Amino acid sequence: MALDLSMPILVVDDYQTMVRIIRNLLKQLGFEEVDDASDGTEALARLKDRKYGLVISDWNMEPMTGYELLRHVRADENLRTTPFIMVTAESKTENVIAAKKAGVNNYIVKPFNAATLKSKIEAVCGS
Amino acid sequence: MSLAVPRQSEVRLREPQAVIAELSEIAEYIAHLREEIGALRANEMSRDRIPMAHEELGSVVAATAGATNTIMEAAEAMLSLPDGPGYREAVEERINTIFEACAFQDITGQRIAKVVESLRLFEQRLARFVGAVKARDAATTDPAERARRARAEDLMLNGPQADGEVPSQDDIDALFG
Repeated sequence: MALDLSMPILVVDDYQTMVRIIRNLLKQLGFEEVDDASDGTEALARLKDRKYGLVISDWNMEPMTGYELLRHVRADENLRTTPFIMVTAESKTENVIAAKKAGVNNYIVKPFNAATLKSKIEAVCGS
Repeated sequence: MSLAVPRQSEVRLREPQAVIAELSEIAEYIAHLREEIGALRANEMSRDRIPMAHEELGSVVAATAGATNTIMEAAEAMLSLPDGPGYREAVEERINTIFEACAFQDITGQRIAKVVESLRLFEQRLARFVGAVKARDAATTDPAERARRARAEDLMLNGPQADGEVPSQDDIDALFG
């Protein structure tokens, strides 16, 4: 499945180790344009500054969670079509259903592997 | 059926005895309560064990983060090694760094064991105290705690689930059809 490897990706996680893991996995997949933010507020500011082809976000962050970020993104006229993947340890079915209702494109439960991340990116962004 | 109504003089005689008995019971209960509070060893908990647990857990977080960084740096360095002579030696050197970094698990395991032991002791003493004084939980909770719970509930901050309860990635994929 063809992926646009030049598209900028925004990784949102308050754990720098997780950001680094996702960055490395994305690099292995061929993505070079990767930015990061440590919570929803910072992510929202970045999303307003640059057009991203994909957001990969954690759920549990302070002060703005990934779930709140998702709702902000879907409510914003300019951002609402941005593909959004939740990568989180919040694995309760009610969380998944709520995220789906809020408009998430896909959902990955931590810990995950490179193959899962790749398949979800392909499912969401593949042409 | 007739009810024996005590005469006024009997009431006057019995009342002080009943009060004394009741006061003795209260005094005994207070003495018992003081013993149980003493057995809690709350000062030892707040002065030694709880600060120790904070310190140990802080060290665990720092050691884990340090080891993770070391491992990731070694892995990233391996990924950017050029092909050619010396490649194997360079990879082996970084693999040894990874092995050394993994030693954190032994030390953090010991630190966590100390915290678990303190928690076990705390639980044991608290359970004994609750049983001894027949403590009941107050209906109201701290406002800050209530606000924290309400936020967690609103935003569904459930955290990782216990092993065995975690839905698999396949279960989640099924929800997306």
